[in-house]
Amino acid sequence: MIRIEPEAWAVMVSHAQKTYPNECCGAMLGSSDGSEKTVKVAVELENAFAGEQGAMYQLRQEDLLRADSEARRRGMDLIGIFHSHPDCDAYFSKTDLENSCPWYSFVVLSVKNGVFDHANSFLPDPDQTHADKEQLIWPKS
Amino acid sequence: MAKVLIPTPLRQYAEKKDTVDLHGATVGEVLTALTTQFGDLRKHLFTDEGKLRSFVNVYLNDEDIRYLNKDKTEVKDGDTLSIVPSIAGGLYAG
Repeated sequence: MIRIEPEAWAVMVSHAQKTYPNECCGAMLGSSDGSEKTVKVAVELENAFAGEQGAMYQLRQEDLLRADSEARRRGMDLIGIFHSHPDCDAYFSKTDLENSCPWYSFVVLSVKNGVFDHANSFLPDPDQTHADKEQLIWPKS
Repeated sequence: MAKVLIPTPLRQYAEKKDTVDLHGATVGEVLTALTTQFGDLRKHLFTDEGKLRSFVNVYLNDEDIRYLNKDKTEVKDGDTLSIVPSIAGGLYAG
């Protein structure tokens, strides 16, 4: 289960809506106690994909390294990655799966007509062939 | 002695340590020392054929070892090795 605190959630939704109609991406920092994770800080990262960003995102490893350093500095952990699906549901696509990493939770935010619609979280396997859905709790406004 | 930073989800396979100090003259030697000390880490970093998994990248200080001398990159006392995944995705192709 992954729970997102209000301040972090506000950053994630804002980033997804500002970036629309392109895909956004970012890192989630917080704590992990076994299967229960809490996201306390969301960090906006730049979509580094060189092509059409409406259907693809790419994280710079250097940015991820900096996010991990920031988490350590604040006494937190890097526990997940988020990105958006503009005008599409929050499912884990084939491209998401094949370019994922099994170490983290992957939260997908659906943004329709520029407005957040819904979200899901996924846990990909090490062979990048399957992703289980993870219970996601976000603050409802 | 080099310092290896362990990503959060992998600490459960490294006695919950967030950093590990290891000896090794090259990146390859340090990674071998890491997976020798913590055998359960091996399958998370390497394929059955012994190659780094496709999404696993290793940085020596702030530099990707692919742009240095890969696993033969020399490691000095006080260097830091980071394990960083490649991550991308999106709606292309389904």
